[in-house]
Amino acid sequence: MRRLEARRQMEEANFLSSKARSQNLNPPIDLRMLDYVTAYDDNLMCPICRCPFLDPVVLAECDHCFCRDCIRQTWASTYSPLGPRGDCPSCRTPAKLGPRSATSKILVNITDDLLVRCPKSEDGCKAQVKRGEVQDHVNIYCGYAYMECTADDCELHVLRKDAAEGCLHFGVSCLDCRQSMQKASLETHWRVQCPDRKVSCELCKEAVFNREWDTHSRETCPAISIPCPGKVFGCNSRSKRSQADVHAKSCTFAKLTPMLTAMQQRMDEQEAAQKVMVRKLEVLEGGFQAVQTILSTKQEDPDQVGADESRIPLLTGRPHQRGDSGGMLDAMVVETDVGAFVFPPPSSSSRPSSELVHVRAGASLPPLYSAPMAPGPRPADLPEPFTMDFDMASPFPPPAANGPYISPLHHLLSMHESLRDEMSRMSAALQELDGRQSMQALNENLRTREEISYMAAQVAGLSRQVHWLTSAQLQRQQHGGAGRQAAGAAGPSGSDIAGAGAGVEAAVSTAASALRGAARIVNAGQGMTMRRGLSEEGRTKL
Amino acid sequence: MAGNKRIMKELAEVRTNPPPGCTVTLADENDMGTWDAVMDGPPDSPYTGGHYKIQITLPKEYPFKPPQLSFKTKIYHPNVSNDDRGAMCLGMLRPDEWKPPNKIADVLRLVRSVLAAPQPDDAVEQGIADQFKNDRKSFDKVAKEWVGRYAK
Ligand SMILES: [Zn+2]
Ligand SMILES: [Zn+2]
Ligand SMILES: [Zn+2]
Ligand SMILES: [Zn+2]
Ligand SMILES: [Zn+2]
Ligand SMILES: [Zn+2]
Ligand SMILES: [Zn+2]
Repeated sequence: MRRLEARRQMEEANFLSSKARSQNLNPPIDLRMLDYVTAYDDNLMCPICRCPFLDPVVLAECDHCFCRDCIRQTWASTYSPLGPRGDCPSCRTPAKLGPRSATSKILVNITDDLLVRCPKSEDGCKAQVKRGEVQDHVNIYCGYAYMECTADDCELHVLRKDAAEGCLHFGVSCLDCRQSMQKASLETHWRVQCPDRKVSCELCKEAVFNREWDTHSRETCPAISIPCPGKVFGCNSRSKRSQADVHAKSCTFAKLTPMLTAMQQRMDEQEAAQKVMVRKLEVLEGGFQAVQTILSTKQEDPDQVGADESRIPLLTGRPHQRGDSGGMLDAMVVETDVGAFVFPPPSSSSRPSSELVHVRAGASLPPLYSAPMAPGPRPADLPEPFTMDFDMASPFPPPAANGPYISPLHHLLSMHESLRDEMSRMSAALQELDGRQSMQALNENLRTREEISYMAAQVAGLSRQVHWLTSAQLQRQQHGGAGRQAAGAAGPSGSDIAGAGAGVEAAVSTAASALRGAARIVNAGQGMTMRRGLSEEGRTKL
Repeated sequence: MAGNKRIMKELAEVRTNPPPGCTVTLADENDMGTWDAVMDGPPDSPYTGGHYKIQITLPKEYPFKPPQLSFKTKIYHPNVSNDDRGAMCLGMLRPDEWKPPNKIADVLRLVRSVLAAPQPDDAVEQGIADQFKNDRKSFDKVAKEWVGRYAK
């Protein structure tokens, strides 16, 4: 009894240790990569990984079910120290994964009972096992899983199904390709790697070299059914490659195919070319539209500004024409008339020349100020054929800048030109005025000088008379005085008279110096009078 | 790992049973992460007769992160950006609204329904959205023109 117990324990230990070693040799299976033998119910499928649930959990908050790993991964970005939590991926209800989140045993059982193919099926294992047992199958039973070589002195591993044959780790060489390898890997080599080994095709029962297998199965196997070459054009028949020619001879579509493909190709080319053309046309249309918008804004403009535009140059032109053709007098009448809009009418006509200066200077301005109202107040002045749309045929030939303008810029330029003309006319008028004033001042000054010299002459005459009188008086006194001195008595009256004479002389010289000062002042004042403009007196003297 | 198996399953599913008006292929047979879908313009919409190539890029983290959609064929639509990316704005595809249980087939079905009924209030192209709301006729006209020009 005790021996039995000991033996059981030993076997168990052996089993467990071999299982552990086998687990090292066969990495754990990714259960999501398994192939299921039969279709499974969609309700067993996790909405995230789209596999039958693996370790399913139900969110208590909304009853939605996911694999534990899937929901953890969904919530990986929203880490919380209180445990995994976040919104339910299906309905967005805030939820969390508690320690007791789980699902009913029945769901786990159903999903674990689904039949899957052994993950070593590609290597040759035909086993179909329950999903819950697949890991055990690989670790313990699968003939195509690895295990340690049974030989005591061999550390290598071997497929489980070969384990009974003893150590297979000795060198052999492949009979077909002469490659040397270990006996253990010969079978795999034959099945998939050896290029010179023949495998038999299941469809045509022909033996094909491994290295040619790809092309055979894809292209050359006569038993593969291929579609008729006219398939794209409507023939739905399929036939084995070997019989394809027979069908092609009788099939209208197949006969037409080369022609149709050529046509298709040409159509594709044409379409591509047309696409390029369409792009070009688009670009051109865009450009054309841009040009049109530029043009249309230009056409709208003259309608708005046109009234002013065509009138301003016309009116600036008018005084010139009148002045040039109708003579000075005519020009004066018109120009005063126009000037009245801006300046108060000239007060009197007594000084025609200076008035002309005024009016001339003013006359060139009014068109600028009064242009918009000009046609209103004086319709009578306008010649018969005058119209808004002034043209070349009208009796007034337009001034250079007149006529339909090419652009607002031209309009501005012409206005600027006419302003420049105004300016030069005004500055000429100002110069004329300036010259006139300096002449007046000069004349006036001359007259003053004459007067002064006349006065100076009179004063000189006066002083001569005074001098003569004084000297006559002195002589008389000297005669009388000698007699009186001889008498020994000097009369006080004599010296009195002499004193009076000296006083008169002094008074006269004072008057003369005063006169000279006055002359100096007049001389100095000349400059100022010239600048100060026309004095009333000067004007009358002119 | 979970992603790859799932992508394989979804691809097989979508190939055997494609959503209406769609065909799906892999851009590169060795790369499961990029799908090419061709979608027919839904009937009774201005896009009828058009064939739209849509590239679906699945991130590594799929299905935990949403796939990205881009129209390779130009389309005049308020919810598709009118540039080289052709990005489509779908609420379902926003990272905060994506649910791992959603499948690519669901996404394609939604795209088709958005083609049939644009959502101007959720637009990427505001100009097109305004036109869609205020001047349906000329919107339809331009959309049809674009079908002929780009999506034949
Ligand atoms: Zn799952
Ligand atoms: Zn839920
Ligand atoms: Zn097996
Ligand atoms: Zn061995
Ligand atoms: Zn060989
Ligand atoms: Zn064959
Ligand atoms: Zn045929």
